[in-house]
Amino acid sequence: MTVTGYTVSDGPDTGRAAPSLDWQQAGKLSGRIVFALLVTGLALIPFALVFAISFGQKIEGADWHWAFVVENYSRFFVGIAWPESVSFLYSQKLFYSFYYAAIAACLAVALAFPFTYLMTRQSRKLQAVWLVFLLSTVSLSEVFVVMGWDVLLSNRSGLPMLFRESGATAWLKETGWFQVLRDAGLANPRNVKFKTSTLATVVTMAYLVWPYAVILLYPALSRIDNSMIEAAQTMGAKPVTVIRTVVLPSVRIPIIGATLLLFVFLLGTYVTVTVFAAPAQQTLTISIYEAIRGATLNAPFGAAQAVVLLVTAGLCLLASGGLARWAEQRR
Amino acid sequence: MADLILRGISKEFGGGVRAVDSVDLTFANGELTALLGPSGCGKTTLLRMIAGLDTPTGGRILLGGEDITDVPAHARRFGMVFQSFALFPHLNVEDNVAYALAIAGMDKARRRNRARELLDLVQLADYASRRIGELSGGQRQRVAIARALAQEPRIFLLDEPMSALDAKLREDMQVELRLLQQKLGITTIVVTHDQREAMTMADRIVVMSAGRTEQVGPPQEIYNRPASRFVASFIGKANFLDGTVRDGAVETAGGVLHLDNPAPFRNGAPVSLACRPEATHVSTRSRQAGNEIAAHVTFIRDIGPNREVFLDAGNMPLICEMRGSESDDLAVGAAVFAHLPPEALLVFPGDQTGTAP
Repeated sequence: MTVTGYTVSDGPDTGRAAPSLDWQQAGKLSGRIVFALLVTGLALIPFALVFAISFGQKIEGADWHWAFVVENYSRFFVGIAWPESVSFLYSQKLFYSFYYAAIAACLAVALAFPFTYLMTRQSRKLQAVWLVFLLSTVSLSEVFVVMGWDVLLSNRSGLPMLFRESGATAWLKETGWFQVLRDAGLANPRNVKFKTSTLATVVTMAYLVWPYAVILLYPALSRIDNSMIEAAQTMGAKPVTVIRTVVLPSVRIPIIGATLLLFVFLLGTYVTVTVFAAPAQQTLTISIYEAIRGATLNAPFGAAQAVVLLVTAGLCLLASGGLARWAEQRR
Repeated sequence: MADLILRGISKEFGGGVRAVDSVDLTFANGELTALLGPSGCGKTTLLRMIAGLDTPTGGRILLGGEDITDVPAHARRFGMVFQSFALFPHLNVEDNVAYALAIAGMDKARRRNRARELLDLVQLADYASRRIGELSGGQRQRVAIARALAQEPRIFLLDEPMSALDAKLREDMQVELRLLQQKLGITTIVVTHDQREAMTMADRIVVMSAGRTEQVGPPQEIYNRPASRFVASFIGKANFLDGTVRDGAVETAGGVLHLDNPAPFRNGAPVSLACRPEATHVSTRSRQAGNEIAAHVTFIRDIGPNREVFLDAGNMPLICEMRGSESDDLAVGAAVFAHLPPEALLVFPGDQTGTAP
């Protein structure tokens, strides 16, 4: 068939279809190549470099040189004086890294869930206002947030002063609760104190990632079919029962995902831990920084600590994923 | 179980929008009532207020003399099937059905037995362990019905329960649902915008428009004796002819049409006449019996055993429904006579401009 100079075939024109197919294949292939280059350039090469450095050797009083020694790893797990003596100092730091990150991630998600759920029940306009506000708080750096909490929790001008001046400290002493706080490390003989403490560390870390938790949970909670909630109500479920039996199970996967993401993010928290954690309870992140840029200047050992942190975090994520799948199958 | 009574129920949303306006209704025990009307007429809002999901801004809801207006949804024990079915995707079929029983604290063995009984009732006994995502639309609807019935509800409410189903399945389910309701004898209220669905299932139809009830009655009464032009246009099809009253007859653009009973209007009053398509007769020859309008055929449509013949009677569109064999001599463009029998003519005041969308 001919239409004003152009030939239009009635049947399939394989001769011309083939090049377009090739272009499609070429497009897909180039996409894969770009993806592979990005993964290699942004993740594999830096990790390989850190991994290689972790086997390097520190030269006393100088820099380090490439080598293949495992002493950095043995120092991490059993201490520098092994086999004469054993020290679990760095395993302890690793433990605190996971301890703070896990509690803070759970706390942030636990606080973000009811807030986000109530937010999604509001008008679209109000939701937009809240989201803009939350996104703006995300722009605050860790240093800025920690500075604020530092003032709030400082013994002379923050909450402890408020406790003392308002008579709350005296009341706590009278009722015997003061001793409970002292046993928990949240009071000195004169007044309550939050610096340094696990509570202050964890609360500040949770505050840091709370906006992220809200933003991560928001899509799932806003997509919940409202008629499911109403259906549960008509079947006799009170509001709390509706949340427990309908809302929470419906968003369990986003909740688990958000918790794991924030947990991994919090493993790298630096400023909060340096300000609020007791020296004996500081994390591997601090130790890594000191080894690479700080006082000790031992890049191979810092790299070994980073590798252990990364591998342990990976194992944790794998275990969590497996646990979630196992729980899903048991349902 | 006692009657459900609505007394002056109103619902006003922000901005002065009245979704439901002073509705008075009584739902008799064991009866299936259809709330029928176009989108936005307030039927779903009324159902939600009955369920306790919305609070009326005026009026009272009584069940057996007990005022339940302020009783929250979870304490009413009304089963409800939602338009989207609202099944819980994180639970399997059996757990969905047993949800209300679990909430009520029934032990696992008893609620499992009850769920199995209900699944048997809706012919899904073999689907107990299936996930919701593995079910078809019809199966989901049955699960939603079984789930709503699990708590032995005092009132059974259904909000457009067939709208998510295809045409064939919808017709089958209408019959099934009606049989199930008759078997259980439960007071049931169905919201629908489909007049065929309402006619198929309901003992009584409540036709609603703009937040008010237009007419309440059995399906045949609503169809044969519509109370307003709106009801006549919304329930089935009708030919409408505007005219003025002259000595009990009505003068229209097509001629004078007589009624069985003289129109109860003063001379010169504007009125609308309505005649159902199946009561309108078309012939190529005049019957010489009056009540005839000259027209010509514009379109013929086959609808199964019958045909719809579309006519133009001097810029007045008319539709006639007749058996296929009776319309063999008709063709598009043919000059014909439309006969509107006096006994089939309904007359409404001419200022009733409301017609169904």
